[in-house]
Amino acid sequence: MPEPDFKLGYFDQPKTKKMLWVLLWGVCILFLLLELVVHRHNHFEAEGFFGFYALLGFAACSCCILIAKGLGLFLKKGEDYYDADR
Amino acid sequence: MMLIDNLPPGLILILGAILVPFLPGKVKNCYVIALPALAFWYISQLDMAASLSLQLADFELQTLRVDKWSKAFGYIFTLSAFAAFLYGYYENRSTQFVSALLYIGSSLMVVFAGDIITLYIFWEVMAITSVNLVLGRKTKKSYQASFRYVLVHIFGGLVLLAGIILMIDKTGSISFDAFDPAKADMASWLILVGFLLNAAAVPMSSWLPDAYPESTVMGGVILSAYTSKTAVYTLIRGFPGWDILIIVGCAMTVYGIIYALLENDMRRILAYSIINQVGFMVCAVGIGTPLALCGAVAHAYCHIIYKALLWMSAGAVLYRTGKSKCTELGGLYNTMPLTLIFGCVGALAISSVPLTSGFTSKTIIILEAANNHMFWAWLVLEIASAGVFLHAGIKFPYFVFFAKDKGLRPPEAPKTMLAAMAFLSFFCIYLGMFPERLYNILPHTELVKQAMPYTFYDIYVHHFAHVVTQTQLLAFSGLVFFLFLPLLKRTNTIALDIDWWYRKGFAVLYLLIDKGLNNINDWANRNIAIGLTGKCSDFFKDGPARLCMIVLKPVWELSGAQVEGSEGIKARFLKKFRVSYFSIGSTAIFTLAMLLFFFFY
Repeated sequence: MPEPDFKLGYFDQPKTKKMLWVLLWGVCILFLLLELVVHRHNHFEAEGFFGFYALLGFAACSCCILIAKGLGLFLKKGEDYYDADR
Repeated sequence: MMLIDNLPPGLILILGAILVPFLPGKVKNCYVIALPALAFWYISQLDMAASLSLQLADFELQTLRVDKWSKAFGYIFTLSAFAAFLYGYYENRSTQFVSALLYIGSSLMVVFAGDIITLYIFWEVMAITSVNLVLGRKTKKSYQASFRYVLVHIFGGLVLLAGIILMIDKTGSISFDAFDPAKADMASWLILVGFLLNAAAVPMSSWLPDAYPESTVMGGVILSAYTSKTAVYTLIRGFPGWDILIIVGCAMTVYGIIYALLENDMRRILAYSIINQVGFMVCAVGIGTPLALCGAVAHAYCHIIYKALLWMSAGAVLYRTGKSKCTELGGLYNTMPLTLIFGCVGALAISSVPLTSGFTSKTIIILEAANNHMFWAWLVLEIASAGVFLHAGIKFPYFVFFAKDKGLRPPEAPKTMLAAMAFLSFFCIYLGMFPERLYNILPHTELVKQAMPYTFYDIYVHHFAHVVTQTQLLAFSGLVFFLFLPLLKRTNTIALDIDWWYRKGFAVLYLLIDKGLNNINDWANRNIAIGLTGKCSDFFKDGPARLCMIVLKPVWELSGAQVEGSEGIKARFLKKFRVSYFSIGSTAIFTLAMLLFFFFY
C-alpha cells in the first residue's frame, strides 16, 4: 500500500486502534458481569436467562448485516443505474 | 394577557414569510430565526380552551384546536424550526426561507386543525412548499427527485381527499377525531393510507430516501422533521389502536435498518433511519393505549431533536466538502472535531444510549408493548433498537469521520451551524437526564410518571438494571459492527428500493405506450391520413383523364406513337388534364369519346 501524503491522525494510529478494541471488549464484558449484581424485572419468560440482551444485540445485528449483505447481491446497482438509458 | 388569543400559531410563520423578500442581508436571517421563537412563546401562552371557527359554505372550520396533543407538537415544531434557521444562517436565498416558513407554518396549521378540511388544505400546502427545499440544490438529480416527490404526494393527497369526501358524504361531519377500528370503512381506510404515505410507511416509503438526500443543506434539516412527524400526529389523533399499525410500524423499523446498512450516501443512511424511527411511533399508535400514545409523542419530540442534529452534522460535512458518499469521506475528525462530537451526541441519542433522550422516550413504547403482552412486537422493537445503533449510531459517524483517512482537511463548520448543533445537543442530553420537563407536556402526564422513572436518581440508580440491559444490547451491537467491518465495506452503489417499480415500471409503461400507441398512430397516418386521401385525390384529379384513356389508348397504339415513359403521350395527356389546358379540337374529341363510351357501356 502506498504511503499517504498526509499525516495520520490520532485515531488512525495502530496503538489507538488497539486501545479502542480493548475498550470495546471491556465495556461488553463489564456490563455482562454487572447483570450478576442487579435485579431485573422481566415481562416475558424468554428474556429471563443471563445475558439475554447481550445475545439479542449480537444475534440481531449479525442477522441484519447478513441479510443486508444477501439482499445487496440483488439490490445493489451502479450509481448511474437510473440514468443509464437517458 | 394577550392581544390576540385565538390566532392559529402557524399563521405567525405563514404571514411572517411575506416580509422575508424585502429584508436586506443578515437582517433576513435574524428575522426568520426570531419568527419560530415568537411562535414558540405564543404556543406556550395559548389557552387550552382557545378555538377559532370559520364558516366555509355549509361547513364550520375549526382552524384552532388547542389541547396537550397539539401543544406538544407545536412546541417541538417551533423549537426545531428555530434551530434549523440558526443553522441556515449561511443561506441568503429568500425563496428557501419563504418555502421553509410556509412549509413549517402549514405543518403547524395541520397540528392545530380541528377539522379535516383545514387539515387537508394545509396538508397539500406542505407538499407543495417543501419541494422547493429539494429543488434549491439546483442539480439535475434534485430536479428529478423533486418531480417524483411531487407526483407521489399528489397521489397521496388525492387518496386522502377521496377518503375525506366519502367520510363527509357518509357522516356529514368534518370534525377530525379518532376513527373506531371496529367501524372501519372505505373512507377511514383511504384516509389512513393518505396519512401513512406521508409517514413514509412501507410500502409507500421510497419517496423519502429518494428526495431528502438531494435537498439543500438547510433543507435536509427542515425536511427531516415535519412531513413524517405531522403524519405521526394525525395518526395519533385519528387512528389509535388500529392493529394494522403495529405490523406496519414493525416492518418500517426493520426495513429502515436493512436499507440503511446497504446505503453509501450519508444523508440517505439518515433518511432510512427516519423510516426506522417513525416505525417505532407508528407501532405505538397501533398499540393505542394512552401510555403508548404518550410514548409516540415523547419519541417524536426527542426524534425531531436528534434527527435534526444528525442531519445538521451531515449537512455541515456536505457544506464543507461538497461530498456525501461514505466512499469519498473519512478521517474528518482531524479538522471537524466539533461537528463530530455533536454528530455523535445525535447518534448516541437515536440509539437510546443511557443519558440521552432516546433512552427516556423509546423506552415508553417498548415498555407498553411488553405491558400489553405483545411479545413479537416487543421483540421486533428490541431488535430494531439494536439495529439503530448499528446503522445510525456507528455506521454514520464511523464512515464519515473515521474509517479510512482520505486526506480531506476541510475547515470546521461555520460558528452558527455549531451553535445550532450545540443547542440541540444540549436537549439530547438534558432530556436523557431529566425527562420530567418532557413528561410534563405529554397529554397523560400522571400516567407516564407512574409507569416511568423520571428523576435522575430514579432512572440511573434505582432502575440501574435497565441501564445495564440497554448497554448490553448496544455494546454487543457495536461489537458486531466492528467484527463484521469487512462485510460492511462501502461500495459506489445505490440500493434498489420500492421506487424501482415506478421509476423503471413507468419507464416500461412509457415504452409500451410509445411503441404501442405511436405505432397505431403511425400506421393510421400512413394508410389513412396520407394513403387514403392521397388515393382519393388522385382519383378525382386523374379520374376523367383515365376514363378518356380507356378509349384513347387503343387509338394511340394503333397510330404507333410512343405511349409509355416520361416523354410518352400518356404522360403529356395526364399533364394537360391536370392544368386543364385543352385545345378546341381536343374538346370535340373528348365529347366524341364520351358519346362512344356511353354508347358501348
